[in-house]
Amino acid sequence: MLYVQNREMVVPGQLIAEDGYRVHEGAFREGKFVYASVVGLADLREREVRVIPLQGCYVPKRGDVVVGIVVDSHYSGWILDLASPYAGNLFVSDLLRRKVDLVREDISQYLSMGDVVVANVKDVDERMRVQLEASEPGMGKVEGGKMVELSPMKIPRVVGRKGSMLNTLERIGECKLKVGQNGRIMIWGRNQQMINAVVEALLMIEREAHISGLTDRVRQMLEKIKSKGGK
Amino acid sequence: MYEMISKVRRDYIGDLARQGKRVDGRALNQYREVSVEVGSIKSAQGSALVKLGRTQVLAGVKIQHAEPFADRPDSGVLIVNAELLPLASPTFESGRPGEDAIELARVVDRGIRESEAIDLEKLAIKSGEDVWAVFIDIYALDHDGNLIDASALAAMAALLNVKTPEDEAWTLPGLPVTKKPVAVTIAKINGKLMVDPCLDEENVMDARITMTTIEDGSLCAMQKGGIGCFSREELEQAYELARAKSVELRAHLG
Amino acid sequence: MEKPEKLIIDGKRLDGRAPEEMRPLKIEAGVLKRADGSAYVELGENKVLAAVYGPREMHPRHLQRPDTAVLRCRYNMAPFSVEERKRPGPDRRSVEISKVTRQALEPVLFLELYPRSVIDIFIEVLQADAGTRTAGITAAAVALADAGIPMRDLVSSVAVGKIDDMIVLDLTKEEDQWGTTDMPVAIVPRKKLVSLLQMDGNLTEEEFKRALDLAFRGCEQIYQAQRQALKEKYAIKPEGE
Repeated sequence: MLYVQNREMVVPGQLIAEDGYRVHEGAFREGKFVYASVVGLADLREREVRVIPLQGCYVPKRGDVVVGIVVDSHYSGWILDLASPYAGNLFVSDLLRRKVDLVREDISQYLSMGDVVVANVKDVDERMRVQLEASEPGMGKVEGGKMVELSPMKIPRVVGRKGSMLNTLERIGECKLKVGQNGRIMIWGRNQQMINAVVEALLMIEREAHISGLTDRVRQMLEKIKSKGGK
Repeated sequence: MYEMISKVRRDYIGDLARQGKRVDGRALNQYREVSVEVGSIKSAQGSALVKLGRTQVLAGVKIQHAEPFADRPDSGVLIVNAELLPLASPTFESGRPGEDAIELARVVDRGIRESEAIDLEKLAIKSGEDVWAVFIDIYALDHDGNLIDASALAAMAALLNVKTPEDEAWTLPGLPVTKKPVAVTIAKINGKLMVDPCLDEENVMDARITMTTIEDGSLCAMQKGGIGCFSREELEQAYELARAKSVELRAHLG
Repeated sequence: MEKPEKLIIDGKRLDGRAPEEMRPLKIEAGVLKRADGSAYVELGENKVLAAVYGPREMHPRHLQRPDTAVLRCRYNMAPFSVEERKRPGPDRRSVEISKVTRQALEPVLFLELYPRSVIDIFIEVLQADAGTRTAGITAAAVALADAGIPMRDLVSSVAVGKIDDMIVLDLTKEEDQWGTTDMPVAIVPRKKLVSLLQMDGNLTEEEFKRALDLAFRGCEQIYQAQRQALKEKYAIKPEGE
């Protein structure tokens, strides 16, 4: 039995469902009842309940792509701020993807304070100690580009279903985006005006993430700016 | 600083509670052995050492001249202070009173003040200029749980023990103590209510409620503590316990 | 001020309210930009702001708990919030209130989801007219939800008291000063559990029960207003519609 509509706004402690529902993030179970644990939109599909949060901090998960900022260094690597309660640790060998002889090589040549790094969350232990790696091409130290910070809770909307929103942003905006699950997004492009348009589109997504028809509104907005001479 | 308590210990105490039993073999409504020894500190006007099992609290009363508060020019002053001494527990640190010490002092203070146990109106000397101030200093000497009840009892016992100050301004026959408020603290573990939690029980309890009552059984102060909750039924049950136990504790005040 | 002869005349209180009536209540969620969550509460003449920061990295590190987040709370009154200027900074009263406020809110939080971190709650009383600690708890619960921190429920809080031998809901400063009893209560509404209870004054058994009755009823009203405030904050329209 359900007590709210799909996409209805719920608040912590609000009863969502009873009997036989699987519980996902943003909700919790007490006995046979399922309640919301955060402010958000109830997402009810088949026998699954989740609440899409509208606010909240980023908690690193293994496999996430994140955009970090170097805030400290140690003997064998760096500490990266992840816009989260938990910082990430990046060993130099996980940045360079090779063995490094720390006695012979001066690692300070690779990263310094304030550098932006795109990385993958390699591991998170139960004490929330986070290991990072720059495991794929396109990861590692960021050169150029523009960084935008959004609420990490809005990142799923920036990507969109099967990447549809991201696709729209990159195609019409003529930009390349790297989306960190921690809410930081890197944008590269040739056309400064369209970069600015994409930034504006991202802020619009953050503001209106929970209102339907968003992809269309973003497309319209970008095309309007483009037709006014964004080329 | 918090005390790390092993899961085994926590489960053990919790399981016992579920069966209505306690770590030290007491019944749920049973206090540890209570002892009240008055007058041991000669330098104080009144003093009392209270023991609840291994918990020991010493209270000393000093009576001195003071300026009245501006809004109550003809009323004496009551000041309660509590110190959780580093010698009383490995978790107590020296320095300014922390929130636990402040809470303790204020809970004891409210019981005495709100019941009007001391007739402060009688403690005026010269309106707006000079009144008697009653300082109650609570010294926790050994912390084995339930410092609140031990402190409240020690404070009352010390007040009742006060010898009149040798000062020509003092004209009263004795300190005007008119009521005997008694604090009873009830801990909740695994849904079971128990009086006078020992340290082990305090460390695992969900919550506590202190109910201070006077001779006619009415309440004069309450304080809930801990991060758990009480249902309405539990609060009413706690009140029953507090009233019954306060009679026993009050008997120790003579 | 002189003590009024009576605080209840013909069943009405000095401000015209019935005994079980609460002062006008206004709650707004998300009022501060920098805070992760925030709320503003007006209850009668009380004006209270609450902000939540976190979960964030705990400093100093030795205060971290390896298995859970730490909740910290600071209740503070602005120097200009009361008739006579209050000396800035924490006093004994505010230290105690900070502690019981923290303990009133902690039962509803899933702190175990954020090991080693800290959640800070800052409550600032800008204008005081009795019942500031309960208004602070009400505001803080909304601010925690606004910060997106997972919660089992909200926490709603109100004070009850005794004036002219009658139990009434939500005392004003005047009533608190001249009445005999003040009993602040916080309730976890869904399960009807009491997470804060303090009292000073005098209550018989019947009065205690009546006081709990009124507190539960008052908290239910506050709870509805809290939910409404949270829902309103996010009920914005897209641009151009």
